[in-house]
Amino acid sequence: MKKLLTIALLYCANTLNAQEAPNSKFGKISPEDLQKKVYAIDSSADAVVLFDIGSSEIVGNSKGWFSFEYTRHKRIHILNKNGYAYADAEIPLYNEGNDQEKIQNIKAVTYNLENGKVTETKLDKSGIFNEQIDKKHSRSKFTFPNVKEGSIVEYEYKVLSDFYFNLEPWDFQGSAPRLWSEYKTAIPQFFNYITLSQGYRPFFIKDHKEKPAIFNVKDERTTEQSETTSISCTEYDTRWVMKDVPALKEENYTSTLENHLSRVEFQLSAYTYPLVDKKIMGSWPDATKELMESDDFGNELTNNNAWLSDAIKEAVGSAATDMEKARKIYGYVRDNFSCTNYMAIRTQQTLKNVFKTRKGSVAEVNLLLTAMLKRSNIIADPVLLSTRSHPFAYEVYPIMARFNYVVCQANIDGKNYYLDASHDRLGFGKLPYECYNGSARVVNEAATSLYFISDSLKEQTNTSVIIANDDKGKWIGSLNNTFGYYASCSLRDELKEKGEDSYYKNLKKEYSEGFELEKPTFDSLSRYEDPVTMHYSFDISKAHDDIIYFSPMMTEGYKQNPFKSAERFYPVEMPYVPDQTYTLTMEVPDGYEVDELPKSVRVKLNEDNDGMFEYLVARSGNIISLRSKLKLNRAIFQPDEYNYLREFFNLVVSKHNEQIVFKKKK
Amino acid sequence: MRYLLTAVTLAFVNFCYASETPYAASAIPAALLKDANVVKRLEEVRFEIISTGETILHRKYALTVLNENGNDNASFSEYYDKLKQIKSIDGALYDGNGKLIKRLKSKEIQDRSGVDNNDLMDDHRVKMHNFYYKEYPYTVEYEVEIQYNNSLFFPHWLPQEDENFSVEKSSFTLVAPANYVVRNKVFNYNGQPLVSTEKNKTVTTWQVSNLTAIKSTYAAPAWQELTTVIFFGPTEFEIQGYKGNMSNWQEFSKFVYSLKKDRDALPEAVKQKVQELTAGLTTDQEKIKVLYQYLQQHTRYVGVQLGIGGWQPFDANYVAQNGYGDCKALTNYMYSLLKAAGIQSYYTLVNAGSRNRIIDDFPSQQFNHVILSVPLQKDTMWLECTNQTLPAGYVSDFTANRKALVICEQGGTLVQTPRYGVKENLQLRSVKGTVDEQGNLTAVVDTRYTAIRQDYLHDLISSLSKDKVKEKLQEELELATYNVNNFTYNEKKDVKPEIKEDLNIAVNNYASITGKRLFITPNLLNRSSSKLNDEERLYDFEFDYGYTDRDSVEIEIPAGYEPEALPQDVVVSSEFGAYRCATHLSGNKVVYYREREQYEGKFPAKDYAQLVSFYAAIYKADRNRVVLVKKG
Repeated sequence: MKKLLTIALLYCANTLNAQEAPNSKFGKISPEDLQKKVYAIDSSADAVVLFDIGSSEIVGNSKGWFSFEYTRHKRIHILNKNGYAYADAEIPLYNEGNDQEKIQNIKAVTYNLENGKVTETKLDKSGIFNEQIDKKHSRSKFTFPNVKEGSIVEYEYKVLSDFYFNLEPWDFQGSAPRLWSEYKTAIPQFFNYITLSQGYRPFFIKDHKEKPAIFNVKDERTTEQSETTSISCTEYDTRWVMKDVPALKEENYTSTLENHLSRVEFQLSAYTYPLVDKKIMGSWPDATKELMESDDFGNELTNNNAWLSDAIKEAVGSAATDMEKARKIYGYVRDNFSCTNYMAIRTQQTLKNVFKTRKGSVAEVNLLLTAMLKRSNIIADPVLLSTRSHPFAYEVYPIMARFNYVVCQANIDGKNYYLDASHDRLGFGKLPYECYNGSARVVNEAATSLYFISDSLKEQTNTSVIIANDDKGKWIGSLNNTFGYYASCSLRDELKEKGEDSYYKNLKKEYSEGFELEKPTFDSLSRYEDPVTMHYSFDISKAHDDIIYFSPMMTEGYKQNPFKSAERFYPVEMPYVPDQTYTLTMEVPDGYEVDELPKSVRVKLNEDNDGMFEYLVARSGNIISLRSKLKLNRAIFQPDEYNYLREFFNLVVSKHNEQIVFKKKK
Repeated sequence: MRYLLTAVTLAFVNFCYASETPYAASAIPAALLKDANVVKRLEEVRFEIISTGETILHRKYALTVLNENGNDNASFSEYYDKLKQIKSIDGALYDGNGKLIKRLKSKEIQDRSGVDNNDLMDDHRVKMHNFYYKEYPYTVEYEVEIQYNNSLFFPHWLPQEDENFSVEKSSFTLVAPANYVVRNKVFNYNGQPLVSTEKNKTVTTWQVSNLTAIKSTYAAPAWQELTTVIFFGPTEFEIQGYKGNMSNWQEFSKFVYSLKKDRDALPEAVKQKVQELTAGLTTDQEKIKVLYQYLQQHTRYVGVQLGIGGWQPFDANYVAQNGYGDCKALTNYMYSLLKAAGIQSYYTLVNAGSRNRIIDDFPSQQFNHVILSVPLQKDTMWLECTNQTLPAGYVSDFTANRKALVICEQGGTLVQTPRYGVKENLQLRSVKGTVDEQGNLTAVVDTRYTAIRQDYLHDLISSLSKDKVKEKLQEELELATYNVNNFTYNEKKDVKPEIKEDLNIAVNNYASITGKRLFITPNLLNRSSSKLNDEERLYDFEFDYGYTDRDSVEIEIPAGYEPEALPQDVVVSSEFGAYRCATHLSGNKVVYYREREQYEGKFPAKDYAQLVSFYAAIYKADRNRVVLVKKG
């Protein structure tokens, strides 16, 4: 009885403890801490972040303005050898002009349990390396000394940053589970930051306090006697805490994990009293106006750009209508300019220089396209968007960091076309599917809001096969395949890269013995707006077997379920919506009769009819016809829909593997 | 008069034009266009040995890029560090007619960190440039001068740098003091170089022209067997104050020894620990095993390679203090631990990774890794000191089956690392399962993997958590829709390691059912995916890894079926390997057996057609189906 009580008490104490903040005093490690081998949050974790505590605080600096003081204190329990990666740390630093980020101090200690006692091994300064990555980026790197299985490592550092625009964001989640993740900000009333939070996890604490504070600003850059200005005002202190946050998991069919992790981030929106009131982040129209006026975005678009005349003349030729002109100019930019960087919304060189060197970032290439269209009196505006590999853009807030890509909107005969000249073989009016990632924004006066969603991209594939008996007793056939648009794009790339011969060779490999293929021909290979159609004929040498087993889907069917995992944590985000039709019309081979045909089925994905699959087989006299149609109506499915999505494809695979059986006539 | 003037001007202009167009694409001989993405129009390399403390490499080359696949070759990048300095870079871009479009401006050259991904820190940086042109054909020309403050590394001459890459003209000029011998190893060079003497210097020039492009080839031999390559090596050399001679492996071994000697002093506490751990152990094997485990538990790989640190190990004390080091430091540490236990071992240089054989008759710095060899009475024990999970004495495919250089004071020689071949690398599998009326299969799959055949799995299960291993298993098997319900791994950590894997899987629609028929592919998990095109073969082919697979499958089928079609047994044997499979029905069980042996070795090009049909036979047989029909 006594024992039971103790256990109950202990249990109680534990739960009480768990409610509160961990003891995060640097170096406060007990032998019990080190003895722990497994954590309830994730029994298979290689390392567990015991706590990760950060804070960002605005302070007056000696350059006559304000800086951030960013501190971070993190403690990690390394449970096994695979967790050694968590013993490496790196602190990214940025500098631009006179503004810089500087590390104040790094304190790092490894704790081990030796003979029941906690031993400490401190990181030596000589073990901290500074790597200059390029002109503006560098990083401090170190690894903890004396790390073994079961070590706890702890580090703390402070960074002083002149980039007061950039209030550090905070990720509550990462590749290792976190027991306690906490972020604090201390911001004077005269800086307004908007807070944006995302993710599915609840906050354990979200706390906001106000307190009086004094900010001292000096200017030591002038030779004159510097004077300290003191500002008394209110400071806003905010604290966010998440507890027991599981590790992030990589999954297939995800646009980017960054959209799913729990995170807070910030955007400076205004200065207020006692500073002179100033809106930093205004309305969307304010933001697009500023973009249009800025040298590293739209300013050049508003110029006359007479220097483009010759190029436009060359590009447009004899084209008469706006539509023809636009197509010619699009083709000219696409075919003559290389894209050197697919993640850019600001220009780093003038459009004139882009023109001269024939290369630029996606922003530069598409702004040049916009400039050429405008110069030809076609209404054209840049569009900002965020690609699938990048977190979603916000529709409400004009936060530029959320965008990473620029395309062009051209209005021709009252209709809008979206153009991207940065890809070699993309068609007029087409965007790569990576661009279909939610909110986008036209950089025009009205700052028109756009929405590009993958649900709207139908990837339509049509395959038809005809097989017949020829007069020489052979079985001959032909196949016509119209690829979906994006499959057409990759096919064009492949053919360009490896050549048609290599494609033919690989195609032949897909067929089993007895099939003789002709070399395929392709339509629309150079008409980039259209899907590619492939055609080839083949003959099948019949073995003189008594029974022929024939796979009616040929090489076109699903052989494996695309959804392999048994469970799902984040939404399935397909890049587009598949719509695949396959038809077969075949004659029963001479001298044989049908012994067995697959059965027809028709199923819906769910009650809302978000997808369907039909597999219809019919026979009329000597002719067998088969039609398989797989169609989804949306591209995004929630985790709780995963099971029936997987089940649905299970049925597809099963039907696609069925056989037709022919028997020799007696 | 006016006319005359025009004519003169025109002629003049033409002349200028002509003199500016050495790179017109139209001048490329037709044979060099075949299968080529890039044509090297000219290359002039001049390597001058000023002294053993200074060498200068001057290289000028021009590449005509014919299509977008050649773009990668058109970019420029060159590493530099404390041992190597880039003195100058020039460049220019020409259009298809050979007309100059632009010259490289020095501010366009990017300078970035080149720290190796495996290192925490090293001193590599890289200068990069790219014209990013895309009207084909176009030509890039670069000229670079590099100064080395050592003579350990001599460049090699490789006119043909890549597949689908032809060469119009390339030359290499070696300038060395008349009394200095430069060694070389020549591959595929006909004739003799031009030799002359100028001012106490010997000038030797090799040149080639019109090398046609080589296509990517399956199981191709080493690149130097396909094209012209000359490797150069020093005799006397020095680096950062250390001197050596490369004339033979013994001398080079002595030099490496001089870098690492007297770096084996252990802290007292570690020495005591060694005594403690080995006390009572009688055999050297046991001691090695215990100390190797101690190394694995107390250290991990962290690379810090600055200056000579790229070649010289941190001392044993550094590793003891920090618990980490790179391959040199960790190997030296293990050496020191063994030394403290009275066991002599050898720091051994090796070229790790796949297909990394060294040219054994050409002593030179061809190594990228260090392991430890411990000669015992009968055998030599090999230790990979950067890995925390390998069994003592097993070095894995990373360094097995190749030559390595033993480092010792008197100078060591090349020795053979452990060999694992067709008899050692096994995958032995047994599948026992049941198919139900709907075609769903549940099965127990037990597999034993040994030696190199277990490397992948060993890495997987020792680097991933159980959850992640499960995810991986759930992705990897080539089955329609399946779940891995249960799995266990048992490792036998031995000189010839073994992993036993037990899987319990459920496969939906494993058997395809059409009406009254049931189709089963009895080869559940080991279907060959290799299919080759039958085409003319120019080069020999090479397999550097032999193995044996055996699969036994027993699948119980629902009652009431009888066979309609059973696959024929297949037996194929060839000089590259053997294959056989057999299927029969025993009661209500489909019983299948498959055996596949792959031999390592080099085979002549003329036997390629046989290889194609060998693979084709396996591919087909692996997919054979059993057809069963419901009785009555």
